[in-house]
Amino acid sequence: MRNAMLKPRTLRTRFRQEGFLLVLLVPALVYFSVYHLVPMAGMTLAFQDYRIVGPSQFVGLKHFKMLFSSPAFFDVLKNTLIISSMKIILFFPLPLLFALMVNELRSVLLRKFVQATAYLPHFLSWVVIAGVWISFLSPSTGGANQARGLVGLPPVDYMTSKSAIRWVLFASETWRSLGWDSIIYLAALMRINPNLYESAEMDGAGALQKAWYITIPELAPTMITVLILNLGFFMSAGFDQVFNMMNDSVISAVDILDTYIYRIGLLNMQYSFSTAANLFKGAIGLVLILGTHSAAKRVTGKGLW
Amino acid sequence: MKHKGKPSSLADTLFRAAIGLALLAVSLVVLVPMLNLLALSLSDPGRVGEVTGLTILPKGFSTVNYRVLAANPLFVRSIINAIIITVVGTAINLLVTSMAAFALTRERLPGRRFFMLLVIVIMVFEPGLIPEYLVIKKLGLMNSLWSVILYKTVNVYYLIILMRFFEEVPASLIEAARIDGAGYGTIFMKIMLPLAKPAIATLGLFYGVFHWNEYFRASIYLSDPDKYPLQLILRQFVVLDDTASLIGSGALFSYDEAARLDYGALKASTIIVAMLPVLIIYPLILKYYTKGVMEGGVKE
Repeated sequence: MRNAMLKPRTLRTRFRQEGFLLVLLVPALVYFSVYHLVPMAGMTLAFQDYRIVGPSQFVGLKHFKMLFSSPAFFDVLKNTLIISSMKIILFFPLPLLFALMVNELRSVLLRKFVQATAYLPHFLSWVVIAGVWISFLSPSTGGANQARGLVGLPPVDYMTSKSAIRWVLFASETWRSLGWDSIIYLAALMRINPNLYESAEMDGAGALQKAWYITIPELAPTMITVLILNLGFFMSAGFDQVFNMMNDSVISAVDILDTYIYRIGLLNMQYSFSTAANLFKGAIGLVLILGTHSAAKRVTGKGLW
Repeated sequence: MKHKGKPSSLADTLFRAAIGLALLAVSLVVLVPMLNLLALSLSDPGRVGEVTGLTILPKGFSTVNYRVLAANPLFVRSIINAIIITVVGTAINLLVTSMAAFALTRERLPGRRFFMLLVIVIMVFEPGLIPEYLVIKKLGLMNSLWSVILYKTVNVYYLIILMRFFEEVPASLIEAARIDGAGYGTIFMKIMLPLAKPAIATLGLFYGVFHWNEYFRASIYLSDPDKYPLQLILRQFVVLDDTASLIGSGALFSYDEAARLDYGALKASTIIVAMLPVLIIYPLILKYYTKGVMEGGVKE
């Protein structure tokens, strides 16, 4: 025992000492209760009709039946899946490519400048980013359309175009996360043994061959971890981004589960129905998180917990 | 990949130059829209028309937009609210998170396995908006800054990062303090916190940015515009284009200036003010969090 050298503690001091540890934990437990545990119990609201006064009445699957028979729900589900696919799968290779390119830079100054600028948008709120993008994409004065004008193209009102808006979401997500999401790859690149490259060079391998036969296989575990952990958030699709970038002209193309849950819940005050939609989303999300997590564990040998 | 010693071929040099240019283009795409807003916000009101979407330097110079904002009581109030939420919130975050991380990493904590399970459950299950909203309402926290300050008091991921940090403190160090008669309180304050300073500073920066950027909880929990944080005012003014809420309430500037004002420039100034604190602490974030990655690392 590690404590063998210590004087045997009396029951009283043990009680005081370990009680103190519990006291340290109390504030966190209070927070967990208020913002997590009690609300978790409150999800039973999905099976009840909400009453402002008196106990809510159990109604079984009524709200889920309503949900699955509502055409709006399937439109929203479809949008969620499309936008998530773009932001998770289509986006996936970009930070990797960015990291590989940064890694080729010889000038430390250039490297620092590129990284410092590329990481910055990650720390801006989606309200700020929406403000920046709405201004940048403005059909009359925005930089994007000015650039189009330079090459003789007509202006496009991206923010109100149903065919463009999802690409605006994709582009602004890339703008925000390209640099930041490349950090994990840059860190992995630094762990590659330089001897591998040296012996490959001696065998006459060029830059592309070294990338293909050494860098990519060495990065594979990181790539797989990133991909599967992101898949766990497939049902979310990024509430803050969509919430700040959508408007009445494009709502049918970008309304996702989370914005729908917000609207029917807090704006239309259909508390039970909204909670049912949330529970559906949460259940699929949970399966995805647990599934992807155990997959990540199997592939890389370690998970998040 | 630094393979020194070998002279690089022409193709190699061209390849690298192309990569450098492409990455510079990425930097420009990030910077130009922001510099454009800065230029717009600082341009002379009479010359705002000359500012195009690709302008990065102000046309003329004027601080009128910022003076208009500074004279607006609602705007000033929102900055004060954001500062209160950020400072108080971050202090509580660090205190509660480090206390919990310390307790959870002590083997003698009664019910430790149960509490760890609880942490995982919290990480995996999202209770969702409405149940949380109803709890906040029942507790009487509606329209109180506390509902916003206390949101995400403990970020479970940060808690786990800090726990890993505490776990790495050598047991011998703690044992030695124990033999000298130190209790858990002394060990926490005198050994763990000083050792974890860099980790706590980094978490503080992340928590701080989170609070400063928060707008959504504020929008659902606060009903009194006097309590709104800056990001929420920004959302109303810039994203929802609700000019009346900000300008209408703050008619404190002279009629002449009001007539010359450009809403686009005023919106740009609001955005700049909202990202300023993040820009100020950004060098610290780079220093603490990404230093190794940015310098290309030290290789054996």
